[in-house]
Amino acid sequence: MATTGINYIPAKLVLLGEMGTGKSSLVLRFVKGQFFDYQESTIGAAFFTQTLAVNETTAKFEIWDTAGQERYHSLAPMYYRGAAAAIVVYDISNTDSFTRAKKWVEELRQHGNPNMVIALAGNKADLVDNKQVEAEVAQTYAQDNGLLFLETSAKTAQGVNELFLEIARRLPKANPTQPSRMIVVDRSSERLVSTSYYCC
Amino acid sequence: MYGGAQTQREVPIIWDTRDPYLKPKPIHRKTNITVKFTDLYGFTVEGNVDDVNVLNEVRERVRQQGKAWWELEASKGANWYLQPKISSISEVAVSNLKISVLANTLALNRLIRKGIPPVLRPKVWLSVSGAAKKRSTVPESYYDDLIKAVEGKVTPATRQIDHDLPRTFPGHPWLDTPEGHASLRRVLVAYSFRDSDVGYCQGLNYVAALLLLVMKTEEDAFWMLAVLLENVLVNDCYTDNLSGCHVEQRVFKDLLAKKCPRIASHLESMDFDVSLVATEWFLCLFSKSLPSETTMRVWDVLFNEGAKVLFRVALAIFKMKEEQLLVTHQIGDVISILQSATHHLFDPDELLTVAFDKIGSMTTNAITKQRKKQEPAVMAELDQRLRRLNSLKEEK
Ligand SMILES: Nc1nc2c(ncn2[C@@H]2O[C@H](COP(=O)(O)OP(=O)(O)O)[C@@H](O)[C@H]2O)c(=O)[nH]1
Ligand SMILES: [Mg+2]
Repeated sequence: MATTGINYIPAKLVLLGEMGTGKSSLVLRFVKGQFFDYQESTIGAAFFTQTLAVNETTAKFEIWDTAGQERYHSLAPMYYRGAAAAIVVYDISNTDSFTRAKKWVEELRQHGNPNMVIALAGNKADLVDNKQVEAEVAQTYAQDNGLLFLETSAKTAQGVNELFLEIARRLPKANPTQPSRMIVVDRSSERLVSTSYYCC
Repeated sequence: MYGGAQTQREVPIIWDTRDPYLKPKPIHRKTNITVKFTDLYGFTVEGNVDDVNVLNEVRERVRQQGKAWWELEASKGANWYLQPKISSISEVAVSNLKISVLANTLALNRLIRKGIPPVLRPKVWLSVSGAAKKRSTVPESYYDDLIKAVEGKVTPATRQIDHDLPRTFPGHPWLDTPEGHASLRRVLVAYSFRDSDVGYCQGLNYVAALLLLVMKTEEDAFWMLAVLLENVLVNDCYTDNLSGCHVEQRVFKDLLAKKCPRIASHLESMDFDVSLVATEWFLCLFSKSLPSETTMRVWDVLFNEGAKVLFRVALAIFKMKEEQLLVTHQIGDVISILQSATHHLFDPDELLTVAFDKIGSMTTNAITKQRKKQEPAVMAELDQRLRRLNSLKEEK
């Protein structure tokens, strides 16, 4: 693959979270800009790549979208091993999924790469009428645990690009001294470079 | 539709496996031409013109192979292939079986590696896998009784099954119809009650769906699923923590290091864990990766020779792409090479020739030993993870 003067930083990223929280939808929104109601179910995990330019560097995300019932979670270590970043997803209309998300965070803290950038995504933010998990609660938890936190909607695209962009900014090599806060993005400096995806 | 579940179940799935040669509809792209066509089992596949030619060739070979089976039937008698088989030479001495039985077993093994004609698959699979025998030990009404007994029950398994029905080979002309969904549902739900340790595990939806297409009747598909999980595959592939699957993955990694050392060390240097791709192969028995007739050919041998066939096939896929894999630097490239290789493996003989002639020996004994060796480590690892998760729960 030609790297025509661009400084690619490969970054393994894994999505974890309870089934149905919208992991695949978030990836699909980020990688292809689409949203579907039905997709062929994935066994194990699906793999995608997406490059994202941030300032002078370009992060090349190698994304593992994990899938499956609880028993499939025993496979998770294979996907988060060596990952530079993780997105732990819960569904804002489902309290249990938030509880499960917290367990994922702790598992990653204990067994993931110590420098891993962990983001907590409260997905389905469009379902405001059914909201069960308040943003403040999640935000406080995220702050206490040093996580990046965003509410997202794969359906409306709210927060999705921002989520990946903010992760790219925090990747150690991309910018080691980046403070942990949200930054108003200069749109001209970010662009999606290329996309490819394979469904495993 | 009237008749209800009872009668529908007895209606065999009508599947025309003798449709005429493919007439591809070309989709013009800038540089190469991609064609979309329907394969032997009704799946829509995309490929290039070469792929279509290969597929037509394969159809012709299937026809020739059919002739070979009929000719043998003429000389050895009708249904000779349904006779009991001998699993090892030593058995001959012990049981003093006739030499002709041994000859038949060997002839059948050879024949099955070259492919079972689609029309004979249901009865040959039932016989060689042991499914027919398994069924013969229970009352004839077992499946119907089971279906009746579980009707209307809701469990975590049935909920998960309902969730997965529309996601199992969406777009397939029979599977993705209300009738197809209902059929697949009954098979999976029935099995979830037969073995509550397995219940339902994702991946089985794909396996059962293909079994339905081949076996034509739900009851036969059910028994094939049962023999597969209870006798053909290693234990606990689909239960609990998928521990059997973890064991198979470790055995596979050892085999790859032994049989394809260059690939194994190159991938290791890239920090690429082959289970990232192979797990799905083993859990879905290649049904999501290989074209349908190629998958069926793998299953022909799987049911006749056992689970070690899966290792041979997985190794063969890596081996066939050795040169390409050795020059990769990014995991994305490894994955796309393997995925495009599997998606385009329209010639089953190409794959099976490598699997059986180029991998070297692999005895059941050696594999069993390997599994035994890996089991404690897998159990310890899974146990540790479970305890960790539980301790997190208590802290909250
Ligand atoms: N309203 C709404 N629905 C969503 C959103 N994201 C995903 N979904 C739906 O939630 C269901 C599960 O999504 P999926 O991406 O398959 O979840 P996964 O199991 O975590 O991969 C699907 O029906 C999606 O269409 C969202 O942001 N808003
Ligand atoms: Mg998913």
